[in-house]
Amino acid sequence: MSTKTRRIAINVGAGYFPGLNAVVKGAALAAGNLGWEVVGIRDGFRGLLQRDYSTDGGLVELSPRIIENLDPAGGGFLGQAARVDPFHVRKVNEDGMVEEVDLSDDLVSMAEDEMFDALISVVGGRGLSILYKLHRKGLRTVCIPLSIENDIAATMVSFGFNSALSFTIEMLDRTRQAAQSARRIGVVEVLGDQSGWLALQAGIAVVADAILIPEIPCDLHTVAAKLKERMYLGRPYGLVVVAEGARLAGKPQGRTDKPSANPLKDSLSPGATGDSGEHIIQRSGQAAKTVARELQLMLPEETYPIVLGPLVCGGPPTAVDRQLGLAYGAGAVEALNAGENGVMVAFQPPDIKFVPLAEAINKVRTVPADSEFMQIAKSLGICLGREL
Amino acid sequence: MKNQSNKPSARTGMVLNIQRYCIHDGPGIRTTTFLKGCSCRCKWCSNPESIRPTPEVAYDVSNCTGAKECGLCLKPPFPEGAFYVVDGPDDKIRVNWDLATDCDEATVSLCPTAALYMFGEEMTVEEVVDEVERDASFYRSSGGGMTLSGGECLLQPDFAAALLEEAHNRGINTAIETAGNVPWSFMKKVLPHVDTMQHDHKLTNPERHKKWTGVDNKRILENFKKAYETFPDISFIARTPLIPGVNDDEQHIRAVLEFIRPHKNVIDYELLPYHRFGTSKYGFLGKIYELSDFTTPSDESVQRLQDIIDEAFGRGKEAPDAEKEKGDKL
Repeated sequence: MSTKTRRIAINVGAGYFPGLNAVVKGAALAAGNLGWEVVGIRDGFRGLLQRDYSTDGGLVELSPRIIENLDPAGGGFLGQAARVDPFHVRKVNEDGMVEEVDLSDDLVSMAEDEMFDALISVVGGRGLSILYKLHRKGLRTVCIPLSIENDIAATMVSFGFNSALSFTIEMLDRTRQAAQSARRIGVVEVLGDQSGWLALQAGIAVVADAILIPEIPCDLHTVAAKLKERMYLGRPYGLVVVAEGARLAGKPQGRTDKPSANPLKDSLSPGATGDSGEHIIQRSGQAAKTVARELQLMLPEETYPIVLGPLVCGGPPTAVDRQLGLAYGAGAVEALNAGENGVMVAFQPPDIKFVPLAEAINKVRTVPADSEFMQIAKSLGICLGREL
Repeated sequence: MKNQSNKPSARTGMVLNIQRYCIHDGPGIRTTTFLKGCSCRCKWCSNPESIRPTPEVAYDVSNCTGAKECGLCLKPPFPEGAFYVVDGPDDKIRVNWDLATDCDEATVSLCPTAALYMFGEEMTVEEVVDEVERDASFYRSSGGGMTLSGGECLLQPDFAAALLEEAHNRGINTAIETAGNVPWSFMKKVLPHVDTMQHDHKLTNPERHKKWTGVDNKRILENFKKAYETFPDISFIARTPLIPGVNDDEQHIRAVLEFIRPHKNVIDYELLPYHRFGTSKYGFLGKIYELSDFTTPSDESVQRLQDIIDEAFGRGKEAPDAEKEKGDKL
């Protein structure tokens, strides 16, 4: 066991999620018990790269007094950064022109100057790749996965997911009541660009009529038939849950955009190349709008789309996420104390494990076809977008 | 700037694309040469592939045949971890944009379906102007010529000047499109070879200009003023990309008019309504489009602002179709 580590830093990548403060608190308490100093880096890496950008300073010593009073139900204590990538830092140069510069070497040497023995980073999928690159440059690091969609493959449950799930279920219950009273069909879009865990688990909890997830290309005729079946039984309303990355069967892409044969030519001078409308990136809410519109064409009842989107990222953490956050934070310190480097803390019940970053990146935790959740949904009579 | 094209008398430069038969990039039918590299970061940019000054890899998933049929990019010489697939029915390749930056042109060219491709190519002055000259007959009949655009074409001042000079030598009319955020020395080097300069007035307030474009507009306005005064024979056309909620207000339009109207060589002021064409290229490049919830301005709001411009230029309300046509590009 290594006893080298004496001063460590912790930072948070992009996005607010319930339980962030619990992670910081867990790491700081565990490190404090080992007699280590802990320093928080504000706003991703910005607090280290630009020490004087804030009047409060870019670094904050996480003293026992601060940690004692850190509310685990709060979040965002260290702030986050929309751009957390030190390999592409945007700045205005001496000539007044914007450019992206690689400050990764500066970052590593600044960490050495601050005498950080290691860095704990709370990051999402893309952040894991960036930390992997920094690790290859010599930065000693341990990552904690950050994914409200619970789509990082190496861990079973990310902190924050349970809170998002609870809030989504509450919203779906409300939508169902509203749909029932208005005799309409509510189509609710929830987070889940690449995997449908949130949609599937929330949809099961409220026994939605249909759940559409990215893993199962859906046929809306099947969904419409299911809804009609319910209508004939005297229930003139419905609830459909759609993950934002849900796709229609036969469409090669996740959403409804259609790439052009020559995107460069079409877009550089759109006025000269005719209709380029197909290049439009679909905005948040497009999945719900598309499904609601298509279903309305097939059914006598009125449909209406609702988008929960990033609303579910806010709010206090549930009891599960408080515990998970504290466990992830403490687990990262345990990894460093065990001499680990370049790893991600993973919750693989009942254990906390350490997975090499090289194995953690590029893997998305999707819903397997033989998942128990799929079986449960089918047993409850919930339509999953096509006959399975 | 460290781009090699800025060395004195650069005869090569980084070209993004050469687009023929353009009718919105200056008078007549034109061939527009897009140079790579930009000194602004406008949040509404519809040409994200033009921003970086060096070649960069892009990926169009619709051309990918998938890991089962191909899977070449999952093996060397492609960088380890740069490409991957996700468990499930869709076996199309996905890109780890943080690791794919190590991909060079030779490696990218191995992709058999061109799902992977590069934006940006080093070209000589002669190669570019030879291509442009192919449509010389159209230029003569329509009053058109060659337009340099970008990115910011003035970021490669020696190359841009050499291109425009060569075009003039071959009797081709020249125009440039610029945001003006370059040292005056760059602009001064290029403008002697320019017949028409289309230039952007994006926002009036310097702080808001910086928020939305990455830089304030102090030097930009100084450059434009110097250009109007130093080069009286150039036809200047001011333009504003009209972004709802950002700069589609009368105050901005009137401020631009106040700035340009004292200069008689500023012959027009065009509005370019915000559009979302080409934004899927952000996906092709692994970038995030920050204005995902913006919509195009209404015809009524554009016309209201256009009326202010027409009044300032002493024009009536006729030919609305022509004005609308002008607004189709950004």
